[in-house]
Amino acid sequence: MFDTFSEKKFLLKQLVKRDLTSKYKDSVLGILWSFFNPLLIMLVFTAIFSMLFGQNIQNYPVYFLSGRIIYDFYSMGTKGAMNSIRKNAELLKKIYVPKYMFSVSAICYEFINFLISFVILFGVMVITGASFHLTSVFAVVPIFFLFLLIFGVGLILAVCNTYFSDIGYLYNVFILVLMYASALFYPIEIVPARVQIIFSLNPVYSAVSCFREAVVYGVVPSTGTLLYLATFSIATLLIGIILFSMYEKKLALEL
Amino acid sequence: MSLIDKIKNIFRKNRTKSISENSNSDEIAIRVEHLTMEFKITKDKIDTLKEYVIRTIKRNKKDKEKVRVLEDINFNVYKGDRMGILGFNGAGKSTLLKILAGIYEPTYGKITINGKVAPLLELGAGFDKNYTGKNNIYLNGAFLSMDEEFIDSKYDEILEFSELGDYINYPVKNYSSGMRAKLGFSVATLVEPDILIIDEILSVGDIKFRKKSSEKIRSMMHDGVTVLLVSHSIAQIKEVCDKCIWIENGHLIMEGEVNEVCDAYMKSAESGKK
Repeated sequence: MFDTFSEKKFLLKQLVKRDLTSKYKDSVLGILWSFFNPLLIMLVFTAIFSMLFGQNIQNYPVYFLSGRIIYDFYSMGTKGAMNSIRKNAELLKKIYVPKYMFSVSAICYEFINFLISFVILFGVMVITGASFHLTSVFAVVPIFFLFLLIFGVGLILAVCNTYFSDIGYLYNVFILVLMYASALFYPIEIVPARVQIIFSLNPVYSAVSCFREAVVYGVVPSTGTLLYLATFSIATLLIGIILFSMYEKKLALEL
Repeated sequence: MSLIDKIKNIFRKNRTKSISENSNSDEIAIRVEHLTMEFKITKDKIDTLKEYVIRTIKRNKKDKEKVRVLEDINFNVYKGDRMGILGFNGAGKSTLLKILAGIYEPTYGKITINGKVAPLLELGAGFDKNYTGKNNIYLNGAFLSMDEEFIDSKYDEILEFSELGDYINYPVKNYSSGMRAKLGFSVATLVEPDILIIDEILSVGDIKFRKKSSEKIRSMMHDGVTVLLVSHSIAQIKEVCDKCIWIENGHLIMEGEVNEVCDAYMKSAESGKK
């Protein structure tokens, strides 16, 4: 069962498709919500915080949105993977399917949403007259490592959440803290220098700042930050894969 | 993609390891050695972190109560055997099949399987009720480890066999349970396995479809396919199988030629009644 790559690829495709169709089945706007959601949140934050932080940040909507889509990808992707096993409990008790496929598909689904939100960012950049930079190409690097990070964290959370059903609540709080510690809607300069060091330990903030450097400021992302992000991501991914393969077969008993 | 490859390799490594272990026993399709299966009882299961922490602090994390569903089961199924599994309700038959299908990992013991397994345990598992019948064929096929090309090529066959006609384009939530079962059956029986594991699903749908489905199953049993069949119908087991095992309260009571085991089983059922 599931020995060939084409079988797995097809399963992944079907799972992502199922997520896409089921999420928007009852709403008139359908998939357009993937566009509107970040846009509306950006408008709200811009309305509220651009007065507070506007003078420190050149183009507030772009500043906020560039951070927000990275953070959203992280938070939605990890949450999706976290719930993926429990959500498919009925199925997993009935037939054999490699369980990590559900986590992978949840992340792929969020990755599609993430790509959609790029259109929003592009649109907002055009409307606000932001300049485009060639260095944007480098944005691929932090996104790639962010993907690995999400994968690792997602696999770890999927196992934990299957054993302890309240991990989800704890993680929601954690991710809120993480949002405040990612400098999404305020400039990093308002944070005292000592605290900034703590920020730099936050891999999501690393991804946000590298992404901003490449796309918004038009500079090559700083190597140190990228290296930190890469190390953190790969280490997390390794832990995630090891943990998941240790527990994969036991998960069905916990559902 | 590189990441998926990486993960794939890890799992592939595990798999090739277990296959190489198997290859020295060519004749055996399924070997079950000292299989023991335990389930934790739900009422005692700690499933929140909060409770876990509280109980750790209070130190009343009493030993989890466990139920042994299967205990020290040993048997071999040789290639081409058609093995019936008998047992009263709650004997552990379905658990055994689920372990063989790879859904559960046994607590102790070892299982060796040679060949491609098709478990016909739950028909239409993973149907999405908002999907049309057609989409569900693909979704269900993906869950059963088929690839796109294969389903494309078999699509007409499935449609014809399921007798759904135009209904195939309606959402499955509007199907009757019989229609759903027919569709599930049509997808699940597409495969050409070496080992067929069947859990009492020979009777789905109306009389007409029932006849057709048992013919289909019978046709799948040709050409030396190994069959494991759980059924409460002695007649069916006697008809299909040549060997039989009898499980009671998680213990293997008897193993042998089908008539012998069936007669002993019947005798015990009758004496139990008195």
